[in-house]
Amino acid sequence: MAEIIIDGITYEFEGQHKLLQFILDQGKEVPFFCYHPSMSAPANCRQCMVKVGQYVKDRETGAYQLDDQGNREVRWFPKLQTSCTLDMTDGMVVHTQETDTLVQRAQKDTLEFILINHPLDCPICDQAGECPLQIQTYKYGPEGSRFEVKKVHKPKRIELGPRVILDAERCINCTRCVRFTDEISKTNQLTITRRGDKNYPITAPGEVFDDPYSMNTVDICPVGALTAADFRFKARVWEMNQTPGLDITNGKGVNVDLWTRDNLVLRITPRFNPDVNDHWMADQGRDVYRLYNENRVSRPSIRLEDTKGSMDDGVAQVKTSWTNALDTLAEVLHENKASTILTIGSPYASVEENYALQKFSSLKGLPSPFFTPHILEGSGDGFLLTDDQAPNTEGCRLLGLEEIDTEEYKKRIKGASVVLMLNDDPIGRDILKASDFKKPFVVVFATNHTDTAKAADLLIPTTCAAEHTASYVNVEGRIQRTFPAKETRYTNRRLDLEMSEGRLDRYGTTFDNWVTEENRIDCKPTWVSLSELSQRLGIPFSFEHARELVAELSSQHPAFEGISFEKMDEERGILLRRAELTT
Amino acid sequence: MEYSFSKDDLAKIDEIKSRYPEVMPATLPVLWLAQDKFGHVNEEVQKLVAETLDLPVSHVHGVAEFYTQYYKKEMGKFVLDVCTCLSCHIGGGYDILKHLEKTLGIKAGGTTNDGLFSLQEVECLGACGYAPMMQINNDVFVNHLTPEKTDQVVEGLRKGKYPEFESIAMPLNPNTSASKETV
Amino acid sequence: MSTPLDWKGYEPVLIPKISGLHQIDIYEKNGGYESLREVLLNKTKWPDAVSVVNEVKEANIRGRGGAGFNAGLKWSFMPPVDGGPRYLACNGDESEPGTFKDRKIFEYNPHLFIEGALIAAYAMSISTVYVYIRGEYRSFIQMMEKAVSDAYAKGYIGKNILGSGFSTEMVVHSGAGAYICGEETSLLESLEGKRGYPRVKPPFPAQRGLWGRPTTINNIETLANVPLVIKNGASWFKTIGAETHPGPVLYGISGHVNRPGVYELPSGMPILTLIQDVAGGMRNGKRIKAVIPGGSSTPVLRGDALEGVNMDADSLRQAGSMMGTAGMVIMDEDTDMVEVLWRISKFYHHESCGQCTPCREGTGWLEKILDKIMHGDGETRDLDLLLDVTTQMEGRTICALADAAAWPVRYTISRFREEFEARCRKSVYALA
Repeated sequence: MAEIIIDGITYEFEGQHKLLQFILDQGKEVPFFCYHPSMSAPANCRQCMVKVGQYVKDRETGAYQLDDQGNREVRWFPKLQTSCTLDMTDGMVVHTQETDTLVQRAQKDTLEFILINHPLDCPICDQAGECPLQIQTYKYGPEGSRFEVKKVHKPKRIELGPRVILDAERCINCTRCVRFTDEISKTNQLTITRRGDKNYPITAPGEVFDDPYSMNTVDICPVGALTAADFRFKARVWEMNQTPGLDITNGKGVNVDLWTRDNLVLRITPRFNPDVNDHWMADQGRDVYRLYNENRVSRPSIRLEDTKGSMDDGVAQVKTSWTNALDTLAEVLHENKASTILTIGSPYASVEENYALQKFSSLKGLPSPFFTPHILEGSGDGFLLTDDQAPNTEGCRLLGLEEIDTEEYKKRIKGASVVLMLNDDPIGRDILKASDFKKPFVVVFATNHTDTAKAADLLIPTTCAAEHTASYVNVEGRIQRTFPAKETRYTNRRLDLEMSEGRLDRYGTTFDNWVTEENRIDCKPTWVSLSELSQRLGIPFSFEHARELVAELSSQHPAFEGISFEKMDEERGILLRRAELTT
Repeated sequence: MEYSFSKDDLAKIDEIKSRYPEVMPATLPVLWLAQDKFGHVNEEVQKLVAETLDLPVSHVHGVAEFYTQYYKKEMGKFVLDVCTCLSCHIGGGYDILKHLEKTLGIKAGGTTNDGLFSLQEVECLGACGYAPMMQINNDVFVNHLTPEKTDQVVEGLRKGKYPEFESIAMPLNPNTSASKETV
Repeated sequence: MSTPLDWKGYEPVLIPKISGLHQIDIYEKNGGYESLREVLLNKTKWPDAVSVVNEVKEANIRGRGGAGFNAGLKWSFMPPVDGGPRYLACNGDESEPGTFKDRKIFEYNPHLFIEGALIAAYAMSISTVYVYIRGEYRSFIQMMEKAVSDAYAKGYIGKNILGSGFSTEMVVHSGAGAYICGEETSLLESLEGKRGYPRVKPPFPAQRGLWGRPTTINNIETLANVPLVIKNGASWFKTIGAETHPGPVLYGISGHVNRPGVYELPSGMPILTLIQDVAGGMRNGKRIKAVIPGGSSTPVLRGDALEGVNMDADSLRQAGSMMGTAGMVIMDEDTDMVEVLWRISKFYHHESCGQCTPCREGTGWLEKILDKIMHGDGETRDLDLLLDVTTQMEGRTICALADAAAWPVRYTISRFREEFEARCRKSVYALA
């Protein structure tokens, strides 16, 4: 096998490798800015310089030539090499900044060059704290500045598009953003303009950077040149928690990170998953942080006056206690004929929620739940956007929920006495009208005050994807799970080992002015509410954590055989075979 | 102003495209064609070129901004590019530039109010032996400039007299000057 | 070192003393396109393309664009023919300050170059020849377009040239104002219709050039030598001028001499002969202060160190400079070296494409420090800073522009340090 010696350590390798990526894969470091593993390598930042040589072999015998001390002789390349573009060869010898002062010097020199025209505005720069330039300057850069002449000035605060703002002075011309629109999103909306040290990225004049993936350029910008219009100046990165989650705005199952502070989700960024979304996500999925924070159903509500079939919730729906809400629900289920009670699953709810409803109905002797998918033909783009608007359509199918069309859906509602519905918005989706709720008693497990929630008779607040651990199956049949990012009234970061705890969380108390109790929503996971309901109905149904539901699915449901959260974590999601649905 | 290519232009553009295996290489020649026609390649012209070639506007914009000879805004009728680079510098290029600034009443980079002259300081034009010199409208070189010759050229231009190409013989090869008739 | 040289008796061959040679019929009457005909049709003498490559390699035509690399050797790097297109890009960007020689070929003997390019095309099985000429040379571009179209009309370019079965096309392509496009990979990008950003090597153009296909890039003057080598043989070529850098050279002489201009003479001419005899001596009888021998990037030589220095690669290397493009800039005793260096640095700052860090940032920094010194605000420590910055730029970039910008600073300061120090205040504080 071929071998390469990096900083005195020998590594074996097979096939073609670029040196920088190989070094990174070994858990070692060489600083870089322009390189990105998913795009072409222009080698323009010149930061990843290393010293490279080759062991000298005797042409005839193939044996290594030795020097006087008996060490293998190395023929060094005359110049330092950019490791990002260098193909590894057998017998290559590499010195990084770890072992070579020449390399250290070169990297420091390049950083000095990058910094001479870069504004030193870290204290007010959004990128501070997560800035490769800042970090690498700290680690490898010069200690002071020798630049005593005038910096180049360039435009600042340019709205490239509705979601991305450019500060051209901060730009270090790594061209990652331009390459992104050329190679990944393929909209070609950005170019480098001008020449030399006046260069900066820009759209064509009069054109708007409205690329549906535009905000990825903010993520990959190694400095604070590109910032998100929505997020800038909202929070310092070190104040936030970062929690793995999933994009729930379509069926792709894009892996994301939810960034929270004080139990508000402030931004959503893509999380690397080579099997799903690589390093990217669509802008659309980033905006749902509002859904997690705003307009939430907190504490159950019940309709008092007879305003059935309207959405005038301000008057008609009043808050009530969990006890009253669940007592009422138990009573309604008891009073009505089981065959007239509908249970409706949802492609917007997790596998666990749908399974809980399925199991509950079966134990209570209610008709099995059904669902209707939310497909908008033509919304997909073959990349990360899908026609499927919901995150778990495939999960509903795999669970064996009856899939019906919207006409049938409407018909069934009309004949029902009670409707028990998971988080979905059939009124907002134009399947139903509020007036369709005139007759049945409608119970909705809701995260937000949607049109459907507003028209409901009983609202049971339920946790959203930012608050619970639950799994979702994407359009390709891959089951992946979320972690709780936001606390509810009933969870606690310090006790829940799956939750991350940031600086403010750790040192804050409810008496500090940066802790806002209202940001913790009064809601429970659907399976918990159903368990409490079952207790009242005398049904043997009791789940506290999604883990228990997954364990049951794993052992009892063929389509989900062998799944576990740990396996999903380790394998970046598990591909479920759709064929097993039929078994 | 509305910018568009005529039928003849489009035929010419098709001919340009046929010289290359792809469309993108036509960017530079078509920008030239556009500049010759409109006098500049401002944002709208860049857009026209991009649409004509079915290339991203950002690409054409990036290219136009990279090359200094493309005028990204409207210029005077006569653009005087005075070389001040190495050989012209030591040969008095800056004196010629200053002289023109004074005569025209504008600074390098500016355009006279009557829209007749734009003055630019440019880098080496490849006439080092005939310094100082300037180029007019990206076209002919006017060599061996003196303030007097500069004045004559400016006056000539005002009267619509465009300087002719100056063929300069190789000193050891007098025959070479005979090729004047080429232009 | 070879011995020059009866330069007065030298008969020019690149641009011979024949009137109207730029016209194709006159060119033909004087033996023009005979070399091409020979190569294509005389199978006894030129059995195959390789024989042509070998002859040119043997002649050791060192690239006249500045790098000085053996042209035939470069040709031999082209991979075997695979049926796909292959390109020759002729570099007529000629934008190194002090260089103005290829335009003489465009004007006076364009067909010699065209013939050379066609022979090269045959030798490397080129399907299309692109002639890239800087946009500022509009007059010369028009001349070349005329010449190419005349050659097409006579059947020297196009399908089945002279009935040989060999076909190749030729296209004249105009630049639009960017020095960097003289760098060979930047030239390819520009030909492809993009911003002229140099490419990372490897892959080299012979492997992946224009549109990913094998491509060779040669300077105009280099190619103009090819028909002469074919006609007279490599051994004849090697008798001209300097032994290790043979052949005729177009010297471009500018600056403070009485008779500036382009001179065709053998390589290896003594610099002092070129100045004092060929170019008519220094203007107003002044002393020579400095000579930049091969375009602005080549290290400047002091006027008092020119004795015995000849215009060939070896002699100039020994003297601490380079042959470059043989574009010589001669400066007299009144020249302000600080200003000259500032102007050179301003040029490289203006022309840096901005793609990679050390050049984009370094060229501007150099100019700004020199500007400060020129205006009397410099300190002696700035001189050391300048040298430091050049060290940080050299050898760290994608192309050689950073080196080209760094060398003049390094060598002008080291060779005229006293003049720079005289302009600077003594430093009180050291830099960080």
